[in-house]
Order: sequence, then C-alpha cells, then structure tokens
Amino acid sequence: MDEISIVGQVVGGSFGDIVIRQKAGTNLEIGDLMVSEENGSFLILQVFSLEFGSQIQDKMQQMMSGVNLEQGVVDAQFYEPDFVNYVLARIKPLARVFKENCDVKIPKSLPSFFNKVRLITKDDLKFLQKEKDSVFVGYIRSGSKIIKEAEVWLPAEDVFSHHMLIPATTGRGKSNLVKTILWSVLDTNKVGALVLDAHDEYFGRSGIGLKLHPRAKDNLMYYTPSNPPVGANRLTINLQSIRPEHFEGIVDFSDPQFQAIRMAHRQHRSNWVRELMVTDAVAAGMESTTPSRGDFAAATMMVVQRKLRLLLSLEKDEEGVVFSRHEVFDSTTKGLTTVDDIVKDIEAGKVVVLDTSRLGDEAELLVGNIIASKLLQKYKDAKASGELERKPVATIVIEEAPRVIGVDVLTSRNDNIYSTIAKEGRKFKVGLTAITQLSSVIPKTILANMNTKIILGNEMKQEREAIIASASQDLSEDDKNIASLDKGEAIITSIFVPFAMPIKIPLFEDIVKEKGVAPETGKTKVF
Amino acid sequence: MLFAHLSDIHLGFQKHESLQKVEQQVFEKCLDECIARKVDFILIPGDLFHVNIPEMRVQKFAFAKFRQVHDAGIPIYVVYGSHDFSPVSNSVIDLLAEVGYITKVTKATSNENNTISLDFLVDGKTGAKIAGLSGLKVGKDREWYEKLDRDSLEAESGFKIFLFHGGISDMKTDSGMDGDQMPLSLLPKGFSYYAGGHMHKFNHQSFDGYPNVVYPGTPFAGYHADLEDNANGQKRGFVLVEFEDTVKSVEFVEIENISYEIIEVDANNRKAESINQELVEKTKEIDPTEKVVIIKIKGELTSGKTADVDISAIRDELNSRNAMVINVSKNGLTSKEYSITEAKGANKEEIETNVFSENIGQLRFEYPELLNEEGIKLAKKLLHELGQPVLVNEKKNEYIPRIRDNALALLGLDDASQ
Repeated sequence: MDEISIVGQVVGGSFGDIVIRQKAGTNLEIGDLMVSEENGSFLILQVFSLEFGSQIQDKMQQMMSGVNLEQGVVDAQFYEPDFVNYVLARIKPLARVFKENCDVKIPKSLPSFFNKVRLITKDDLKFLQKEKDSVFVGYIRSGSKIIKEAEVWLPAEDVFSHHMLIPATTGRGKSNLVKTILWSVLDTNKVGALVLDAHDEYFGRSGIGLKLHPRAKDNLMYYTPSNPPVGANRLTINLQSIRPEHFEGIVDFSDPQFQAIRMAHRQHRSNWVRELMVTDAVAAGMESTTPSRGDFAAATMMVVQRKLRLLLSLEKDEEGVVFSRHEVFDSTTKGLTTVDDIVKDIEAGKVVVLDTSRLGDEAELLVGNIIASKLLQKYKDAKASGELERKPVATIVIEEAPRVIGVDVLTSRNDNIYSTIAKEGRKFKVGLTAITQLSSVIPKTILANMNTKIILGNEMKQEREAIIASASQDLSEDDKNIASLDKGEAIITSIFVPFAMPIKIPLFEDIVKEKGVAPETGKTKVF
Repeated sequence: MLFAHLSDIHLGFQKHESLQKVEQQVFEKCLDECIARKVDFILIPGDLFHVNIPEMRVQKFAFAKFRQVHDAGIPIYVVYGSHDFSPVSNSVIDLLAEVGYITKVTKATSNENNTISLDFLVDGKTGAKIAGLSGLKVGKDREWYEKLDRDSLEAESGFKIFLFHGGISDMKTDSGMDGDQMPLSLLPKGFSYYAGGHMHKFNHQSFDGYPNVVYPGTPFAGYHADLEDNANGQKRGFVLVEFEDTVKSVEFVEIENISYEIIEVDANNRKAESINQELVEKTKEIDPTEKVVIIKIKGELTSGKTADVDISAIRDELNSRNAMVINVSKNGLTSKEYSITEAKGANKEEIETNVFSENIGQLRFEYPELLNEEGIKLAKKLLHELGQPVLVNEKKNEYIPRIRDNALALLGLDDASQ
C-alpha cells in the first residue's frame, strides 16, 4: 500500500464497530469508504462515526483551554500536536472482495489488527461491472467524494419485479432519480413501465425530460388529457373501461352504495356509469325510504351519483350526454381502446407516462387501477400459458405510495390492485416502484417485500427508523448517515447489491446533455 | 358548396372475377353519385388502387371513369396511400395526374434544417385550401409529421382541408385494430376538415383543435376482413360534406354492393366432427344464390388437427347452389393438441428457432430425428429450403420439382412418384 494514500490504522473496536486512528492531515468524512488490504482479499469499510481522541487527559485539556482563553496566551501549543491529539473514526465492514475473481462476500471477520487503511479507489470497485439489461442509478460515493469511474447498475428484471421503494422528503432529488432510472429503462425493451406522473414532470412537455432520450420515439409513450404536444397521445378513457371493482380500496363507498354500483353494472354492463349517472333516482320509482325489493333508496343512489360525479368530474349536457370536465373520461366513442393500448405498450417494454396532473387524487389512482388490473391479469394469463418468461418485467411507478399501500388504507378498505401487486406481483413479473415521504405508514409486510430501496435524505427520525428496520442490509449504524444525505446523495440497499451502496445520482440535465438526441440536420425526402 | 370524400377504394384488390365486377360497379356508382349530386370537388386520401401499378383491366375502367368525372368539371384531389404510393412517382396515380384527371395535393419542400414545409393548393371554384401528406407503409410517414412546419399551416386563414392517410389512435374503436396508428397530435391543428384514409370503416369525430376528422371507410372491400364486416352489416359508401366558411354537414352516402351470408361456428372445446356437422346444418339453412358466403370458424378444438374441419364438401354444396364466392376464415381456429405457441427473438433466425423450440415438444413421432434438437435443426433447414424463391428465368415446372427434391433429400426420403 502506498504510504501517501494511507488515511488511518486499525486500533481497536469490535466487529461492526472498528476503531481507526485518522492519519494527521487527512480529513475523513461520515460515509467515507476505505479499504483494508488482507491476504488475497480486501475489506471495504465505511465510516459511520467520528470523534476526537487524545493522549492528554480531559481535565488537562480543559485547563489548557482555560489558560489559552482567560490568560490570553496566544502562542501556547501542544507539544507534537499531531501525535497527541487525533481523530478516531468508527467504521464498519461492508464487503470482502476476493482479488482473484472479484467475488464479493459479506464480511465475517475483522481486519488485521493495526492494519493500515486507505480510501477506496476506482480500481477497488472493478466488481461493479455493468451487466446486460441493467439500470443506471448513479456513481459510488465515498463521503461527499464521487468516484465517477464506478458506475452503479442494478439488474433491471430483478429489481423491478421485486419492487423498489424510493423514500425521501421533498427536495432531496426524488424526481431526478426517477428520471435517471427511467432514462436507462428507455434504452431497451426489457422493462415496461407505467408512470403515474402527478406533476407532469417526467416527459418534459416544455423543457428537459425523457422525450430527449434517443429511443424516446420508439419506447416512450406520453398520454396527457388535453392539448397533447406533437406526437403525444390524448389521455381519454372511456367510461366503459371502468368496472365496479376498480373503486375497491380507492374510494370510500358504503356497502349499500357498492351494491347499487354492482346492480347498475349487472343491469347495464359496460355502459353502467353512464346509465347510472343519467338515472333519475326518484323518478325511476326508487322509494326514498325503504331499500327493499332489490331496489335502492333514492338517497343511496343520489350519493353514489354525487360521488361518481365528483370523482370522475362528470357532467351532463342538455342532451343527457355525460362528459368529464378534464376530458379524461368519455361516455361516447372516444378512449375505448386506451387501456388496452397502454397495456400493450407496457407488454412491449415501453415506458408509458400518464400526465395525471389534472386529475384528483382518487381519479388518478382509479386510472392507474384500471390499467394495473388489466396488466396484472394479462401477466397472470401469460404465466398460465407459459409465456411469461418472454415478457418484459413491468413496473408501476406511483408517487405518494401510502395513498394506496398505507396502513390506514389497507385496514379500513379492501385490498386494492397496488397492494395486490406489492404482495404477489413478483410471481408474475409485475412490480411497484413506490415513491414516498412516509415509509412508516406502509405496513411492514409490504416494506419487507420491497427488496430494493434507494434511500435519499430524510430528516424525520421515525421515517428513517422504518426504512432502516426494513432494509436488505444492516443499516442500524446509518441513521445519522441517512439524515445527513445531501440532495442527490443516496444509499441503495437491496438483495441485489453486495452491500449498502452509497451513491451520488447525477443531475438528469447532465445525462441529457451527454446522451440526449442531437438536433438533426439535413433534408428529408418527401413524396 | 359541396365536396365528396372517398378513400380506400383498393381497385384491383379482388381476385375473384365476380367480385372484381362488384368492385368496379361500386367505384363507378360512387363517382356517378358524385356527378349526380354536383359536388364541387372530390377528395381521395389514399389507396385508390390496391397496388401502385394495377393490371390493365383495372387501369382501363379507372381511366374511363376519371375522364368522365373530369369532363363533368369536377376536380379530384388525392394523396398516395400505403398501397399505391411510389417513391419515384411510378404509380398509376402519377399517370392519372399527368393526364390531368386527378391532382396530387402534396406540395412539400424539404428544408435545410430538416423540417418539411407544406404548401396549400387552392380549389379554383370554391377557394378551399387543401394540403396533405401521403401515407407510407408501416407508419414511415410519421417522421414527416414530426418534422412538419405546422406553424405556417396553422396560421393560414380560410376553409382548410387536410388530407392524410393513416390510422389515428385517438379514433380507434376496437383494440384489435393494431399496426401503424399515430396520435392525432401529429396532424397540424386548426383545419376545418381532416380527410382521412386507411381506416376501412366510416368514422367521424371531433376533438379540441381538430374539428371533423373523418374516415369514409372503404366503399366495398380492401382487405379480406372487410367482406366479413359487410356480411355483418357494415354500411359502405362515401362522405358528402356541405360547407361555406365552416363545415355545415357531414353526410354518409351508402352505396349498396352485394348480398352476403355468414356462417359462424364456435369451435371452443369441441371436436372436428361436431363442427363439420354444424357446418352442414347451417349451410342448409341459408340461400347462397348469387351471394358472398363467409364461413368463419374460430376457437380451440379439444383434439385433432385443424385440418380435420373439412370445408371442401361444404364448398361443393354451396357452389352447386350458385354461391357467388365462398370465403373461409380458419385463422382463429386452433387445437389443444396442435397449437402453435408464438415466440420472440432478435431476428428472423432467432424467432424461427424459438418457435420450433417452443412447439416441438407437442409432437409425438416414432422418429427421433424429427424430435428435440435434431427435429428443430431439420425443421429450420426445411423451412429455409421451402422458402427458396424462383430463380431468374426459371419456369414453374422446373421450380416445383427442384424445391420438392431438395426438401425430400433433406428429409432423407425418396420421391415415390418417380
């Protein structure tokens, strides 16, 4: 080991909490990665705590400080200060890498006592090789230093089918991360994605976005309710695509209300929403008091109508034609195939971004529910017919995930499609990519099923604890580390990475600058 | 003021002589109707012909009719469709344009900055401003729309018509309609009328910024499935549009073509014998005289081969009762015993290998060389051999024995006929 590169030496501690003395002149940071070379292998270690150490007793130090401060002695110095006072870093082993075959194992032993350690370099991270069909998430980060040569790629099929959780508070770079991930998903057709984009920020309607990916024309589909930009699709879903079960776990309907809905569906089949909306409950002879005879009280009917009207923004024109104010739902002949088209695109390994920014919370989830239900069903069918293997893995990107997989939602209402996917989607290659500020309200069973977590900065202790408790690697010492993550810094914990990896996510704008489509020149022949 | 909008006439598509007659009659009836109704002009956005150079018979009657329309003083404005386009102006469309019977409306300029400008053509009599782009196969024209300088088109004032040939995904009514659909947002906004071609059923819808997007559909049939739709009651014809500054009305004019009978059989969970029986019974119930008879069998047989469903006797029976044409569709018929699982691959070679690998396990032969890896290799070789094209100057009676001998040699068999 080069003496210049040495930053410290192992002086004590125990497994998982090794103490090193920092070499004078170096400046270790929380999160720094370092290497302890052993015979035929090396340990990768990470700093999780820093403290002062000194050969002089505390009382003596305090007295010296008094002399310095109170008596105005300006040139008082320690004798050989670097030797006497120093910094102790507490570090934990992350991985043992065997030099011969770049095999990475979970460490089970201590580094050699008194061994010198150095900061990690790109050569130590050769095992991070990009494999086929993987997703780029960022560069290895040692403290706040970025090792640009060490790119972190996750195996796409594995991480998406086993669900991904992106916990972070506002302003820590969530949407930058999601865009970065989707950018590499667009490279191939191995992953299909449904993105419910509540802020209309991914496509880049009026700025930089996924539309600038070189393969966006083939692999990116953008649906927006009105005035779609050139080449984009209109997000119109015919009311015929909605079935009563799509409301389950999303909208609060009482039992009688749900029965009324099911009855309408039985009577009018695919046109049930339209028929239900144009039914005059009282005039139709539904008595307003007794819900007997299989009919429903007019009051129930009216509540259902009101709820549907608010949820779907429905209105009736003078000719009795039902339409929705935000134009997403249509009762005539538009949008009859939208759901099928979107599902087909996902099955073809495309990224489908739905601009749901004009929809209310529940309407957004309903749209997602309609599509996700169909998608899951098709993947289940494919499994039954033995064709699942050839299908790309599908993921559903959903923001504010506790809206559908939060404890209160799942206990007070029935399961919805998102919780079903979280629980059993993996078997059918359908996964969730859940983004949330509040991991603590997601049930442990679901959190544990989210086998990849890309943890961004989070100042809320309760949230950090929930994430740490469900991480795929032991992050019990990383509480402060997570709290101190800066914008764009993250820790990946996953069953598909050898250790909890500290990463720096690049700025999406920089990726686009480097890899985005260049403006074309030349002439196109038209005939 | 009035104009007619026809599309997807597919002249020259029909192979059967009696259907060729119907095809011609329907085409002539449409144009006669346009003359009788004194339209100011006619729009045909693509697939006027089934191929760019149809046989002489077709060209003859088409020229005669177009001349008649021309003599009546009615201009016809067209763009190429995916079937009759030619990148080097080598289409009968160009011939008709050259003699002045029709006018191609695509007036495109490719700019240095890789954009495409489109100029309007102004109809002399009505002042309607017409622009349009041709349709290409497999949606290759999408690139043109993406590069279109739409600002100048959208800024133009007056009554504007846009001719296009291609499916619009926003207007799909059936998820089975796959293929080269494009989003409506690719078309320039603000035209008074969008004259569409390519979709074979009448469809008229309006969207924000796009009033009156219309497909008249084929007036008779341009795909085999069209005849089946006709038999199921699909109305055929063209569209008449009354306009002044804006569109006043859009009227679908139905043109009768021929009578149909359809026999549909659901083969799900059944055996071939029971299907054959049902076919016989259903055939007895219809009057096929001078009609197009469509026989459609779909579903999955519980056992046996799809070939066990025997159509030949039914065909003879119907012919003896003067059916005009009998169209049999067994595409949706599969068998549990012999169902082909599709497979994907990066290229043709890989797809072939994967399809054989997926399906060879179903086979039960006594010959090991027809099974497993050996079988896949043999199947691929055989497929390659049977796909050999005719050589230059090779005659049919030379080609067939060559292919047969090679195939038999591959299988290690002798030709018993020799």
